Amino acid sequence: MSLTKESQNTLNWSSTVELIDNLRVDEVGLKERVASLATRSIKKDSKLQALNYIVSMCDLTTLEGEDTEGKIGQMTAKAIRPDPSNLEVPSVAAVCVYPALVSKAKEMTLNSDVKVASVSSYFPSGQAPLESKILDTQFAIDQGADEIDIVINRKAFFEGDYRKMYDEIIALKEVCKSVHLKTILEVGELRTYENIKKASLISLAAGSDFIKTSTGKISNGSSREACYLMAKAVWDYKTVTGFKAGIKVAGGIRDSKDAIRYLVIVNEELGGEWLHPDYFRFGASSLVDDVLKQIKKLKTNAYQSSYYFPRG
Amino acid sequence: MNTWEYAESIESSSIVNIEKKYGIFIDGKFQTAKSKKFIKTISPSTEEVLSSISVGNKSDINSAVDSAKSGLKIWSKLSGTERAKYLFKLARLIQERSREFAVLESLDGGKPIKESRDFDLPQVAANFFYFAGWADKLDISWNTKGLKPYGIVGQIIPWNFPLLMLSWKVAPALATGNVVILKPAESTPLTALLFAELCEEVGLPPGVFNLVTGDGTTGAALVQHPDISKIAFTGSTAVGKYIQKETADRDIGLTLELGGKAANIVFNDAAIDQAVEGVVNGIFFNQGHVCCAGSRLVLQEDIHDEFVSKLEKRMQSLRVGNPLDKNTDIGAINSKEQLNKITSLVDEGVAEGGSIFQTECDLPSNGFWFKPTLFTNAQPSYKIAREEIFGPVLTTLTFRTPEEAIEISNNTEYGLSAGIWTEKGSKILWAADRLQAGVIWANTFNKFDPSSPFGGYKESGFGREGGRHGLLSYLKVQS
Amino acid sequence: MNEVKKTYKNYVGGKYVRSESGKTFRIELKNNFYEVPLTSRKDIRDAVVAAKKGFAGWQKLTPYNKTQVLYRLSEMLEGNIDTYQQILEDSGLTKVKAKQDIKMASDSLIWFAGMADKWEQMTGNLNPVAGDFFNISHQESIGVIFSLNTNENSLNQLLLSILPSLTTGCSVISFSESNSILALKLAEDINNSDLPSGALNIMSGNFSQVIDDVSNHVEINAMAIYKDITKDEKIIIRENASKSLKRIFIKPSTSGLESLLPFLETKTVWHPKGR
Repeated sequence: MSLTKESQNTLNWSSTVELIDNLRVDEVGLKERVASLATRSIKKDSKLQALNYIVSMCDLTTLEGEDTEGKIGQMTAKAIRPDPSNLEVPSVAAVCVYPALVSKAKEMTLNSDVKVASVSSYFPSGQAPLESKILDTQFAIDQGADEIDIVINRKAFFEGDYRKMYDEIIALKEVCKSVHLKTILEVGELRTYENIKKASLISLAAGSDFIKTSTGKISNGSSREACYLMAKAVWDYKTVTGFKAGIKVAGGIRDSKDAIRYLVIVNEELGGEWLHPDYFRFGASSLVDDVLKQIKKLKTNAYQSSYYFPRG
Repeated sequence: MNTWEYAESIESSSIVNIEKKYGIFIDGKFQTAKSKKFIKTISPSTEEVLSSISVGNKSDINSAVDSAKSGLKIWSKLSGTERAKYLFKLARLIQERSREFAVLESLDGGKPIKESRDFDLPQVAANFFYFAGWADKLDISWNTKGLKPYGIVGQIIPWNFPLLMLSWKVAPALATGNVVILKPAESTPLTALLFAELCEEVGLPPGVFNLVTGDGTTGAALVQHPDISKIAFTGSTAVGKYIQKETADRDIGLTLELGGKAANIVFNDAAIDQAVEGVVNGIFFNQGHVCCAGSRLVLQEDIHDEFVSKLEKRMQSLRVGNPLDKNTDIGAINSKEQLNKITSLVDEGVAEGGSIFQTECDLPSNGFWFKPTLFTNAQPSYKIAREEIFGPVLTTLTFRTPEEAIEISNNTEYGLSAGIWTEKGSKILWAADRLQAGVIWANTFNKFDPSSPFGGYKESGFGREGGRHGLLSYLKVQS
Repeated sequence: MNEVKKTYKNYVGGKYVRSESGKTFRIELKNNFYEVPLTSRKDIRDAVVAAKKGFAGWQKLTPYNKTQVLYRLSEMLEGNIDTYQQILEDSGLTKVKAKQDIKMASDSLIWFAGMADKWEQMTGNLNPVAGDFFNISHQESIGVIFSLNTNENSLNQLLLSILPSLTTGCSVISFSESNSILALKLAEDINNSDLPSGALNIMSGNFSQVIDDVSNHVEINAMAIYKDITKDEKIIIRENASKSLKRIFIKPSTSGLESLLPFLETKTVWHPKGR
C-alpha cells in the first residue's frame, strides 16, 4: 500500500501566498462547533467499528532518550499483535521511533504490515541548520524508514519567514522522494487558530503527505480544535489542488472516548474516505491499551484491567 | 466507499410519566376544567397520542382570574426575599428534573433531545436563577422607586420552545410581584403541566401560578378578561395584531414577541467556516421553528459560490430523525399544519424561479418531516424572501456594497434579529447602528442569556424579555 | 475547670491550617474554651498566595455560576442553622436575637447571590462620546481583598464583611478577632460549597499584630475595614498603602449597590464605527 505522492502535490510559492493571505478564524465559533461534534453518542456496532479503526490507525510511539533495541522489540511485538487473546483486533499502522532505532524496528516488523516511521529534522525543536536536518532525514531513510515525521521550523514561522519554512519542507520532501512525509506543526506552540491554519496550508503546499499536530514532547499536545482546523485546511487544499492529504494527531490522546471524538470530527468534516490509516493516524502509546479494554468490554460486557494486555 | 454509520443512541422515555388526561392548574392544585372539551396532544415524530388535555373555556378563565386574585393578595404581602426563595427553589427543582423535562419536551414538540437537554433545559433553569435574584433588588434595578407590578398577568406562549418560553414569561413576572395565568400552546402543553407540579412541590402560594390549557378560543377568552392588567404574548404577528386591537379599549400593559425574517449578512471578509456554522445554526436550529431564525442569507456576491458550496456540504451532514436519538440534529416539524405551510411556501419558491437544494436523507414514514432546504438564485421580491416560513428553509440573496446589505436586510416589516459576519470590528459596529433589529448577533447567532434583553423592532413586536430591561415588561410606573 | 473544647484552624487555600508560628489564643464562649490561630505575618503571606490563585479560579466562573455557588452556600448554611444558633447564644445573644441574626444573614446571602450576575448591568454603561466611536465603560474585580470583620457576635455582619467583595468576583481574606469562632465555623460550610480554593479564606488573630504586614503587602489590592479602628491605625494603614497605592476603604457600606462599588475597577474601551 503506497502512501506516497510524488511532487504533484505541491503548490508554487505565489499560489501558497494566496492561500495563506487573509486567513480568518473565529475562535469562539470554532470551539462551539468542536464542542457540538463531541456530543455525538457512539454506541454498539458503530463503537466497535470506531475502536477497530483506532487500533489500525495508531502509530505506536516511543521517543525517549532511554530507548534501546530491547524496548523496540517489545513495542513492535505489541504493534503487530496488540491483543493476543483476540486475533480480530488488527495490527497498528506503524511504529514511530528515533532514527537510531529504525533498523531494529525494521527488522522486527519485516514480515508484517506494520510500517516504521522515524522522526527527523532535529525533532522535537527543529532548531538546527537545514543541512543537519537533511542529513538526519537521509540517515533514517537509509536505515529503512517507510515514513518520516519532520517538524516545521517554528523559529522561521514566528520570525515571519514563511518562505524559509516552506523551502525547508520542499527540501526535505526531496530527500524523502517516495517515502511518506508527515509534517509536525506543534500546535501547542502555534497557539492561535490562524497560526495553525497557516502552518497547515504552508506544509501542505510544500508537499507534505500528512500534517501532524504535535511532537508529544511539550505539555500542550494535540487538541480537537487543532484537528478540526487541520481538517479544514486539508479540505480547502483538496478543493484547490485535488490532492487528498492526511492528518495525524499526537500528544495527549489518552483514552478511547477522546479518540472517538477525533474520528467524529474527521468523519463529519472530511468524510468516510479519511477513516483509513492512509489518511488518519493517532500517535499514541497508552491509547491502544484503553482501546483494547473497550473492545473487550463490548465483547464480554465487563470492565477490564490493563494487566490482561501485553506491555509494549 | 468507506462509511461509518452511527448506531441509534436513544434516550429512554421511561423517565417520563404522562397522565392519560389533564385538567387545569388553579388555586395551587390540579382541577377538572369546567369546559368538558378535550383535545389530543400527539408526538409529531410518530403521530402517537400522548394525552388528552382540557380546552379551557370562559368559565375556566374566570376561575383562573379569581384564583389569581387570591394569589395576589398573598404574593403582594411577601417580601422580595421571600419571592426570591420560591424562585430559587423552582430553579433547583428544574435542574434536578432536567432530564425528565427534556425528554418530555422532545416527545411533545419534536425537537431533538440534544437541543432540549443541552439548550432548552439549562436556559430554563438559568432564567429562574437569574430572575430569582431580581426579586429582592427591584428598588435598585432602575434607580427609581416608582415602579410597581401590574397585578394579574395573562401570558400566552408558543409551541417552538414551550418550557423555555414559560420560563421567559413566568420567572420575571413572579419576581416582580405579579401573579400569572399562563396559556401554553395547543400542541405542546405537557412540560407546562409538569412545571405546575413543581409549583405545588415548592409550596408556591395558591393562585400565584395558574395554568389553563386549550386552543385559540382559550387564549381569546384570556385576552378578553377585563381583570387582566397585563398581557404578554409570543407567537405570530397576525395574532399579535389581533391582541393589540382587541385590547384597544383597555389601559393594560402589553408586550408582544412576534415573527421575524432575519437577515444573516455574510461579508467577504468573514471567517468563512465559522460563518457557515453560524448560518446553518441560524436556520436549522430547532428545525427553523425560531422567531429570530436567520432565514435570509444576505451574501456578498464575490464569495457566493465558495460559500454556497461549503454551506451545502455542511448541510449534508445534518442528521434528520427520531428526536429521542441523541445523534439527531433536526427533529420533526411540530404539526401537520406547519408542515403544509412550509411545503406550500417552498413549492411557491420553486415556481417563482428559485433554485432549490435539499439534503439527501431518509425520512421516517410516520410523523411530520422536512428536509433542510436552501434556495439560491432568489430575488428579494420572492415570497420565500419575504414571508416567514418557520421551517428549515434558507433563502439566499446577494449584495455588493455594505449599504446594499443594510437596505436589503431592513427591507421587511419584521425587525427581530440580524446577523453580521465580518472580521472587521468597525464594520460590525457601523452595521449594528443601521440594522433595524432588536437583537444583533455579530460573528455568532442564536445566543441567548437570561441577562440579555430580547425583543423586536417594527412588526416583530414590542417590549423586551430578559435582563434589566426585561423587568420593565412587568413593572409599571405608579400613577 | 472546663477542658479545651476544640482547636479551630484557619481556612486558607481550601485547607485547614494552623498558624506557622504554632501560636493560638483562647476564646471563651459560655464556660467553654476554644484555641484559635494567632495569625502571623508568614500566615498572611501564605494566605495572599492562596488568594491570588483563588482569584484566578473565581474569575473563571461565569456570573451565572457565581450565583449558583453563592446560592448553594446559602443552602449549606440553612443546613447548619442550629450550630450557628448555638454559637451566637454562647456568645451572649438571646435566643430571639440569635434567630433574627441568622435570618438576616440568610437574606443577605440570598441578596448577594442574586447580585453576582446583576451588578454589571447596574454599574457599566455605554458613553455617549462625540464622534463615530463605540465607547463602553465596564467594571472588573479589583483582585485580592483583605477584609477586617467587626467585633460583633453576628453571622450577618460577618457575611456582610465578605459578600460585597466576593460577589464582585474578588477573592477575600477575612480576618476576625474575638468573634473568630463564628468565622472559623463558617469555613466548614465554605469548604463544602463549590467556591474555588482560595477564593474565600478565613483567619483569626490580633489585627494589631499584622497591621503592618497586611497594609504593606503589595499583592493585597485593597483593604476593607468594617471594624471601628483608631485614628493611629488608620494612619498606619494609609501611609503603608501609599507605597503601592493600595485601595483602602474604612467602614464601607454593607448594603445596596454602594457596598459593591469599592471593589470594582472601571475600564473604558473605544472602537471606531465605520465600513
